[in-house]
Amino acid sequence: MDKLNICHLYPDLLNLYGDRGNIISMVKRLEWRGIGSEVIEISVGMEFNPDAYDIVFIGGGQDFEQEILLPDLLGEKASNLRHAVESDTTFLAICGGYQLLGLYYKTWNGHQLDFTGAIDIYTIGNTDRMIGNFMFETSIDGQAYEVAGFENHSGMTYLGDNVTPLGRIIKGYGNNGTDRTAGARYRNVFCSYSHGPLLPKNPFLCDHILLTALREKYGDYELKALNDSEETSAHDVMCRRLR
Amino acid sequence: MKILTVIAILSARVTTFFLRLLGRGGTSLPGRVALFFQRNLLETLSSGYTVIAVTGTNGKTTTSRVIGNILSKAGIDFFENKSGANLLPGIAASFAMDCSISGKPGHEFAVIECDEAAFRTAGPAMKPAVVVITNLFRDQLDRYGEISHMLTKIREGLLSCPGASVVLNSDDSLSYSISESIRNNLITFGVNEAPYGSDDDFISDAPYCIRCKNPYSYGYRTYGHLGDFRCTSCGYKRTAPDISATDIEMNFSGSAFMLHMKGQAFEVCPALPGAYNIYNVLAAVAAVSPFIDDTALLADGIATFESGFGRMEKILLENFPLTMVLVKNPAGLNQVINFLSYDDSTKILVMILNDNFADGTDISWIWDSNFEKLHSFSDRFSKIYLSGTRAEELLVRFKYAGFEPDLITVQKNYRILIEDIVLSNTEKTPVFVLPTYSAMFDFRGVLAQKYKLKEFWK
Repeated sequence: MDKLNICHLYPDLLNLYGDRGNIISMVKRLEWRGIGSEVIEISVGMEFNPDAYDIVFIGGGQDFEQEILLPDLLGEKASNLRHAVESDTTFLAICGGYQLLGLYYKTWNGHQLDFTGAIDIYTIGNTDRMIGNFMFETSIDGQAYEVAGFENHSGMTYLGDNVTPLGRIIKGYGNNGTDRTAGARYRNVFCSYSHGPLLPKNPFLCDHILLTALREKYGDYELKALNDSEETSAHDVMCRRLR
Repeated sequence: MKILTVIAILSARVTTFFLRLLGRGGTSLPGRVALFFQRNLLETLSSGYTVIAVTGTNGKTTTSRVIGNILSKAGIDFFENKSGANLLPGIAASFAMDCSISGKPGHEFAVIECDEAAFRTAGPAMKPAVVVITNLFRDQLDRYGEISHMLTKIREGLLSCPGASVVLNSDDSLSYSISESIRNNLITFGVNEAPYGSDDDFISDAPYCIRCKNPYSYGYRTYGHLGDFRCTSCGYKRTAPDISATDIEMNFSGSAFMLHMKGQAFEVCPALPGAYNIYNVLAAVAAVSPFIDDTALLADGIATFESGFGRMEKILLENFPLTMVLVKNPAGLNQVINFLSYDDSTKILVMILNDNFADGTDISWIWDSNFEKLHSFSDRFSKIYLSGTRAEELLVRFKYAGFEPDLITVQKNYRILIEDIVLSNTEKTPVFVLPTYSAMFDFRGVLAQKYKLKEFWK
């Protein structure tokens, strides 16, 4: 049986609100197609083997929790993460996890925290939070999809030259509230400020991420279609409300 | 100054009167109108009362109500702010309704439930004799922000209440950490054993030490991050509580345990199921302990307490019981799922998820709740209904927990939902309704029109 190894990085610290929903979504959608999965939880003091995982998921955390993990992350884990990104491991990083993959975070009063530098993005803290349901358009294999989510962040993230946005904001703030970009894409890395359960009501994005990892591992791959009527209905309710 | 007080009180009453005429039970608007006339109205009006203030994430309402029941049994004259009027305007309005037109206290005591974010200003204004912090859990991040910020706000509020006895939960590493920065008289409460045994899976809001950021180890855990915590790195640990519970026996309708206080031990039997209600009872006893230490009276006040207003509130419909259990955050919902797992009789389950301001506009928390455990005993539910503004999203959560979506009915209209239950429930199966905050008000309102319920402002 085909199988994906999913690494959940810092599950006890980066689990802000419903982040687990993304893991549940990936595991279930593999299971419903007869594809196996194993979730490996890696936290403080544990080794992150850059060649062992097909998908790495990093969620969001509160400032307190991020302070706990930074000393651990910035040691060997940071170089292993960079290695995994460059060798085309599939990543999904949300909120704080998204910021941590970047170069640095500069607080609103100018204090700079260096992060992993796995992708060319950086974040500037803001005194106001960007909170609310939001929606952006993304393109998957040339087809446009609307992604619905909830954002809650004070960091304003800016993308470097070789990083593309995951999508264009339709409603809400997105990366920084000004340039209408939403999230980031680099190699097989997917980043978003749609905190918590991004994937459950955006099943097309979940499948796209799974397919990216499956193709990386097994070459040519197709996923059999599922009945997504409940997911689609939850998605459409929010998109209709936001429009 | 005095004349302004009279005008403020009158304005609150007139506004309330007109709201009632419109059939509405709002408490915020009368308070805001009154505060417009006198900004420090709450300070002025509350000064004649002995105030017991109750704040924290979970259990505020039940704890306040148990305090009220014990005070009644003790013959102490008091009033309480009912109906979730727990922000500053609502609290001010409650005092304005209780005192005389000239501002003279209508009762000796006031038991005031206070929203944790509102406590920083509303708490000190009341110069409380006792402040209860029930616990701190992650809750509505869109509204309350991070737990550490909430902790700071509550601490700041307490620093402005120098005369208060402070009741703290010794099992909660988060809120108990406040004890280090205040010099108030402390009364602590806690559970001295794990009420569920050790086979439960726990989601912790605080796995790492609030002081030094190293992981806690636990002698035992009660639920969430509560329990016998200990940081082996900096030495921050649970201290033996002043008021505690041992020998706990739990069942579907309540619990029985030994309550220890001031060197005495006595059995109490609250008709409140769920481990979290043991904490609520202990917190209530701690709150009244400066005034009452007659154990028979305390036991009576606990045993005769009947929960209401959406907190395990039992309503008889036609000829089957409907129990309403408010759910508002993952820790609370996990506790309700635990409670439902005790009893293997057949039930009808209704869950209502709203995303209005009072519920939290972010519903992501449903993914942190243990619906997988709920699914493990899904054969006990003869029917499942989902409702609320985000019913569709809830259905997705149920689906991914393993439920068959085709067997679940989504009905957003409460009237039709209730009619459907009444018509199809020929077996007289007990119904359990799990609504979020605003859903509880609305659903209860529809029920009240059909089946004479107590209006919430009464």
